Amino acid sequence: MSAGADFLDRLLAAVPGSQADTPVKDYPTVRLSAPKDLLPAARLLKDELGFDYLEMVTAVDWLGPVNLGGFVSNPNPNPFTQKHPGPPVSPVAGPGVTYRPVLDLLWSFGDLVKNRKVFLRLEVPRDRAEAPSLTGLFPAADWQEREAFDLFGIRFAGHPNLIKILTPDFLQGHPLRKDYVHAKDRYDAE
Amino acid sequence: MRAEPAASAPGGEASPRPVKAPLPTPVLNRKSGGRLLTDTRFWPTEVWKSPWSLPRYRAGAMWLAGIVLGIAAAGFAVGELAVWAEKLLALLGRTSLPPAVAAWVWVLIKLTCVIGVIVVNGLWAVWWERKISAHIQSRFGPMYAGGFHGWAQTILDSIKLLLKEDVTPAAADQPMHLLAPIMAIAPCVMAFAPVLFGDELAAAKLDVGVLYIFAFASISVIGIVMAGWASGNKYSLLGGLRAAAQIVSYELPRGFSVVPVIMFAGSLDLAVIDQAQAGYWLGFVPRWFVFYPVVGQLAFIFFLIASVAETNRTPFDIPEAESELVAGFHTEFSGIKWAMFFLMEYGYVLLSSFLLAVFFLGGGAAPLPFLDFIPSWIWMVSKAMLMMFVFLWFRWTFPRMRVDQLMDFNWKILLPWSFANIGFAGVLVYLHRSGWGPG
Amino acid sequence: MQSEELIVTEGGLEMDTMFVNMGPQHPSTHGVLRLGLTLAGEVITKAFPDIGYLHRGTEKLMETRSYHQCVVLTDRWDYCSAMTNNLAFCLSAERLFGTQVPPRAQALRVVMCELNRIASHLILLGTYGIDIGALTPFLYTFREREMILDLYEKCCGARLTYNYIRLGGVAADIDSGWVAKCREFLEFFKPRLDEYDTLLSFNPIFLARTKDIGIISKETAVAWGLSGPNLRGSGVSYDVRKSEPYCGYEQYDFEVPLGASGSCWDRYFCRVQEMRQSVRIVEQALAELPTGELMAKGVPKIPKPPAGEAYAHVEAPRGDLGIFLVSDGGAAPYRLHVRAPCFINLAILQEILVGKKVADVIAVLGSFDIVLGEVDR
Repeated sequence: MSAGADFLDRLLAAVPGSQADTPVKDYPTVRLSAPKDLLPAARLLKDELGFDYLEMVTAVDWLGPVNLGGFVSNPNPNPFTQKHPGPPVSPVAGPGVTYRPVLDLLWSFGDLVKNRKVFLRLEVPRDRAEAPSLTGLFPAADWQEREAFDLFGIRFAGHPNLIKILTPDFLQGHPLRKDYVHAKDRYDAE
Repeated sequence: MRAEPAASAPGGEASPRPVKAPLPTPVLNRKSGGRLLTDTRFWPTEVWKSPWSLPRYRAGAMWLAGIVLGIAAAGFAVGELAVWAEKLLALLGRTSLPPAVAAWVWVLIKLTCVIGVIVVNGLWAVWWERKISAHIQSRFGPMYAGGFHGWAQTILDSIKLLLKEDVTPAAADQPMHLLAPIMAIAPCVMAFAPVLFGDELAAAKLDVGVLYIFAFASISVIGIVMAGWASGNKYSLLGGLRAAAQIVSYELPRGFSVVPVIMFAGSLDLAVIDQAQAGYWLGFVPRWFVFYPVVGQLAFIFFLIASVAETNRTPFDIPEAESELVAGFHTEFSGIKWAMFFLMEYGYVLLSSFLLAVFFLGGGAAPLPFLDFIPSWIWMVSKAMLMMFVFLWFRWTFPRMRVDQLMDFNWKILLPWSFANIGFAGVLVYLHRSGWGPG
Repeated sequence: MQSEELIVTEGGLEMDTMFVNMGPQHPSTHGVLRLGLTLAGEVITKAFPDIGYLHRGTEKLMETRSYHQCVVLTDRWDYCSAMTNNLAFCLSAERLFGTQVPPRAQALRVVMCELNRIASHLILLGTYGIDIGALTPFLYTFREREMILDLYEKCCGARLTYNYIRLGGVAADIDSGWVAKCREFLEFFKPRLDEYDTLLSFNPIFLARTKDIGIISKETAVAWGLSGPNLRGSGVSYDVRKSEPYCGYEQYDFEVPLGASGSCWDRYFCRVQEMRQSVRIVEQALAELPTGELMAKGVPKIPKPPAGEAYAHVEAPRGDLGIFLVSDGGAAPYRLHVRAPCFINLAILQEILVGKKVADVIAVLGSFDIVLGEVDR
C-alpha cells in the first residue's frame, strides 16, 4: 500500500530484532526474530497503531515442493498415497528461494479505518513449531490458529481450545506439511 | 410444465389454434462451438408483462369457473342430502330389524360417514394445499398423477404411506409410540359428531355441541405429547412440549372468543346458532354474527387466530417447525402412523373451518336473499372451504413466530381482548334487549 | 464437548441440561455443519460449532496443479458464488505474474461478479425465509436466480461452477443479445426487490424474529474478524471494492449499505440493499462496455511465475475473500492459503449463541449466510 511507513518505523523500533522483510506484493511486511516478540508486536499494532482487525493466520512449509514429479494426469491417482508417489523430483527453486526445514508463519493485520494492512512473519523450526496464541487479543485468531494447528502442526501456546478443526479425528499427521504422506483409511477407494 | 411461448401475442388472430411463433434468433455461445445452450424464451419476464396474453392462463381461468359452476350444478342435482338421509332411515325402519339394532346400524352408518368426511378431507386438503402453495409460489404443483392437475396424487401418496414400512426407533417407547397416533386421531373423529354440514345435517344433535367439540378437540394434545415423548428423540420431545404449552394456552382465547356468539344465539347447540343467523337486515345484509358491529369482527378474528394456533399451522407451527425441530413431534413416525397425524391436522383444519362457518358466517344461510334456492349444505361447505383456504393461505405467506412471542401474544393480547369482547357483547345484547340494537 | 449437567437457575431451581446435536443432517444448517448445543429448557448454555465434514483439502491439492487447473478448483469453495472465487485466485496470480488484464475483461469480470453477488444473496434471502418459516420467498428468489444462471450459461456454458475468469482475462465473450437479455433481467428484477421487501423484509413476524436477535456490536464484529455484510450489518464501513478497488471498481458509482445495530435483520437487509447496488453497478458496466481483447497477451500454457508471494482479496458476497499465494518458481503454486470469509464468520457463533433460544439459533446461523464448501474448503 502507500509507503506511509511511520507505523512501520514505530513497529520496527518497538520490537527489537524485527526487520522489514520483502513485501508481500505491495503490503508492508515485518519479520520477527523470535516467537516472544509476537505478542508485544500484536499488542502495539492493536492498541496504538489502530490495526484491530486480524485478517489472516497462516503458514508456509519451506521444506521443498510436494514430491510429485510433474503434474498428475488422467487417470487421477491420489498422489499422497505410498502407491502413487510419482517419480522423484529435483526441486527447482527459483532465484531467492531456499528450501529449509522451517515453517514460515504469517499474520495479516488490517486497519479498517485507514485502509492499511501489515504482515507479520515468523520462522519457526519444523520439529518444534510453536508460537504464542493471539486469541487473547483477537478472538478471530481462535479458529484460524486451530486450522494452522490442524494442517501444519503449529502449537499455539495459550490457545484455550487447540483441537483439530478440519481434518477427521482419525487422520494422522498434518496434511499441509510438505512431507505429509497419506495413510490409507476407510474412505480410500482401494 | 412449461409456459406457452410468450411470442403468441394477443393479436386476436382468427385461427382457433395460433400458429407457433418461429423460434427467436438463438444466442450462440461463441466458445461452445455454436451450440445453443439455454432457451430464454421461458423467462417470466414476458409472462409478467401481460399474463392474459397466454392461452394457458385464459384456459386455466375457464377451468376454474367451470369447476365452480359444476359443483353448484351438482348441488342442484343432489338436492338436500338430509332428505336422502331421512329416506334411508325410513328404509331402515321398514326392515325387520329390532329397533335397538336398527338404531345401532344407523349410528354405524353415521360414523362411517363422518370418518369418510375426515379421510376424504385429508386427501382433498393435501392436494389442495399443494396446489395452492404451488400457485402462490409460481409453480404448478402436482400435474401428472391422474391426468387432470394431478388429482390422483394424494390418493397414490396415501397408498404409498399404507405400504411403507412402519419404523419404530430403537430408543422409542414401543407401546406409547403405537398409541400416540391413535390418541391423536380418535378425539378428532369424535369431535366431528355434532358438526353441522348443512342446516340440520349433523351426525348427532347435541344441546351442548360447542362444549363437546372443544372438549374433544383438546384431547388430541395428549397424543401429540405422547408422540414427542415416546419417540426417544430430543427434537420430538421439544416439539411435544411446545405443542402442549401452545395448545393448552390457545384453548382459552378460543373458547372465550365464542362466548359472544353463544350469548347472541342463546344456545350451545350448533343448529340453534346456525338458525339464529338466518334472515337479513334491510333486506340484503345477512344477519351473520361476523357482521355484528365490532364484537362480531373481533370474535371472528380471535377465533380464527386461535384456531390456526390450535391446528399447529404457520405462523404458529412451532411444534413441528421444520427448520428448528426437523419435524417436531412426528419426526420419528412413518407410514400410516405419520399419515394419522396428518389426518388429524387436516381434520382439525376442517373442523375449525366448519366452526368458523357456523359461528360467524351464517352456516347454511345464503349471503344474499335471492340465492336462497341453493341448498344449505352447499353454502355450508363452500364457506368452510373458504375458511380452509384462509388457513392454507396463511401457511404459505407468513413466517413462523417464536415460542415466547407466541405465548406473549396469547396471554397479553388475545386473552385480555377476548375477555373485553365478552363485555362488548354484553353491551350489545343489553342494547338489543332494550330495543336499541340493530334488528 | 457433550455435557449434560445439573445447573441452578437464578430462581434457585435445579434443572438438567440437554445436549442436542444440530446437524450435520438438519434441515436448516445450510450444509454439513454440526452444532453441539447444550440446552437448559429451550435456552442455550453452550454452543460448539463443529466443521470439517466437507474438507476436501483444496489447498493441498493445488500444490500439485498448474495455475490454470487451480482455477477449476476454486469454483468448489463457495459454490454459490464461484465467479468471485475465480476472480480472487486470478487476481492473486496476476499480481504474481504482473499481468495486465485488458479493459473489456475487467468490465466483464465486474458484470459477472456482481450478477453472482445478486444470485448468491438471492439464495440467502430464500433460505433465510425458510429458516424463519416463510416458505414462499424461496421459490421467488430462485426464480430470479435461475435467470442469472441462464445468462451465465449463455455466456460461459456453466450454471454453477463457471471456470470463467481465467488467468489474464475471461474465457468467453458476450454479444449484444446477451446484453439485451441482461438488461431485460435487471428491469424485471428491480420491482422484484420491492416485492421481497413487502413479503419478507418488513413482515412484522419476520421483524419480530430477527430485529433484536443476535446483535453484534462494532467492536465485537471487528475483533472476531467478520467481513462482508456481516461486518457492515454492524455498521462498520469496510468493503474491499471501496478500500482497495480491483477490476476498476473505482469507476463505478455505488454505495456501501450499512446496518444500524448489527442484528440479524441488519445483516439480512444489508444484503437486500447490496443487490440494489449490484444492479446499479451492472447497469453502469453494461452501459460503457469497452471493446477489445479478452485475454492478456502472453499467458503461457503452463505458467511459471517468478518466485515470490502475493496476496489479493476481493469482496465476495460472503465477505473478504483473500488468496495468499506463494510461488517458488515452479509450475504449481508452492503454497496457497484461502482467507475464507465463511470460515472466519462462523467462529463467532460459539460466543453469540449463548443465552439464545433454539429458534434463535436458526435465525442467527441463517443470517451469517455460510456456505460449508468454503468453511471447510
